[in-house]
Amino acid sequence: MERGSIPAAAGIGLRFQHHQVVVDSRPGVAWLEVHTENYMGGGKPPAYLDAIRRDYPISLHGIGLSLGSAEGLDDDHLERTRLAVSRFEPGLVSEHLAWTVVDGTYLADLLPLPMTEEALDVVCRNVDRTQTSLKRRILIENPSSYLRFKHSSIPEWEFLGAIAERTGCGLLCDVNNIYVSASNHGWDALAYLDALPSDAVGEIHLAGHAERPIDGGRVLRIDDHGSRVASAVWTLYAEALERFGPVPTLIEWDTDIPSLEVLLDEAMHAQAHLDRVEGSEAHAVAA
Amino acid sequence: MPSLHELQRAIRLSLVEREDDTAAMYVVDDGLAPEQRLAVYRNTFDANLANALRLSYPAVHRLVGAEFFEAAARTFAHELPPRNAYLDEYGAEFPEFLARFPPAATLAYLPDVARLEWAVNRALHASDAAPLDVQRLADLDPVDHARIRFAADPSITLLSAAYPADAIWRAVLAQDDAALGAIDLAAGPVWLQVHRRVTGVEVTHIDERAWRFSDALFAGQPLGAALESATGTEAPALLAEHIAAGRFVAYDLAEPTAGQIALENVS
Repeated sequence: MERGSIPAAAGIGLRFQHHQVVVDSRPGVAWLEVHTENYMGGGKPPAYLDAIRRDYPISLHGIGLSLGSAEGLDDDHLERTRLAVSRFEPGLVSEHLAWTVVDGTYLADLLPLPMTEEALDVVCRNVDRTQTSLKRRILIENPSSYLRFKHSSIPEWEFLGAIAERTGCGLLCDVNNIYVSASNHGWDALAYLDALPSDAVGEIHLAGHAERPIDGGRVLRIDDHGSRVASAVWTLYAEALERFGPVPTLIEWDTDIPSLEVLLDEAMHAQAHLDRVEGSEAHAVAA
Repeated sequence: MPSLHELQRAIRLSLVEREDDTAAMYVVDDGLAPEQRLAVYRNTFDANLANALRLSYPAVHRLVGAEFFEAAARTFAHELPPRNAYLDEYGAEFPEFLARFPPAATLAYLPDVARLEWAVNRALHASDAAPLDVQRLADLDPVDHARIRFAADPSITLLSAAYPADAIWRAVLAQDDAALGAIDLAAGPVWLQVHRRVTGVEVTHIDERAWRFSDALFAGQPLGAALESATGTEAPALLAEHIAAGRFVAYDLAEPTAGQIALENVS
């Protein structure tokens, strides 16, 4: 395996709470992913990551490049990202189909884009610039969202496919996000999976979400990464693996972060799904 | 149909200024009002920024309680939202905000505790820098010693406070009510040095003269001038301590001045 590359196995999102226990106990997990923005300074966080990446392949997942900003990328933030990638030599680098910055103000959430030709041009320009600066391919994650814009004219799954085709970037398929958005907007989650270019999918994310009752007996699903993966999302994950084959899969948890054991248990569950796909692929080859 | 930039400005108005009218016009109304959909994002904006501030200001959070803190954080985020996603740098102005935040007016010591916490937060995240190699100083011609301008380790902050901010900070974080109760708020000003060592962030009480001399050195004043204006005799010992503790990471030489003095035994 290439140094630092991410195996087609289950990993977990590493947060500060678990730095020490990971260093001390070296848990049996295939790889780890961190938020790039948490390792842009000095002191303990990067020192922990330096130590941890000696034992585990690492993926850097950015939350603040704001690839959907009409005003273009923030030079300083792109440079901080470049320095982190250069220092930690991650196996994968990913960001979101979202925007977070306008007129130099950071809005502290992954905000939805209108699905328009203009927005597609903006995102492709920003992805091109990022890949040129980092000198590598990045993965773009499909968003979860709670609203749609009236003037959107391109289905989200086609929008993602167009970014991959135009920029050569890969896709990070967040299965929970597809489930959440499909539920919130009345989309067909399986048709969404069918529409993604399977060759471009380089990683899968899984996480828990919350349900908030709204009028008419409906619920709004909120992507809060605050619980175990929902059973319907595991089912959708199995569908995703059928389409994409075994893909590096990450368990994310960011609200009310539990003990490391809970995350490892979720990762084992994902690994069991991956093993079944590996098994059936091997079987197909043998046959 | 709005341009992307117009739409993004409208969302900013909704999240930061709490004015939904324009953004709501662009949002599909489907079983849930656009204003309520926008509120989901505004809640995340508020919560994420309050959480970032809480991580940087844990003692302030404990002193005022969660409800007060979140209300202060919301008002602060509305006035001074972050510039980018590197949130370790968000909240530098929070102490000054607290000083003029009317609900906090009765807690006169709160801005001092907050300023100390910001210095500690800066120290925690400051970039890593190797200490100055003492041999490089030993190799200097003694005649040049007065012209040395040191660059301080980026984790260092010197601050003075009218209230015993360090004692309050320690007692609050240790949840030591006895220590907190024993603090004399009228004990007079404190002079503090914050520096990240390998072992962790050190908050040290120093006396005013040592503080002023250190402040001159850390600000890059030439050594000769700093020593001349130093009162008392402890300055050379303090200089040696700073060097030994790795508080300098580099130096250069100021242009020679007419009144330059040669200085010996710097190292």
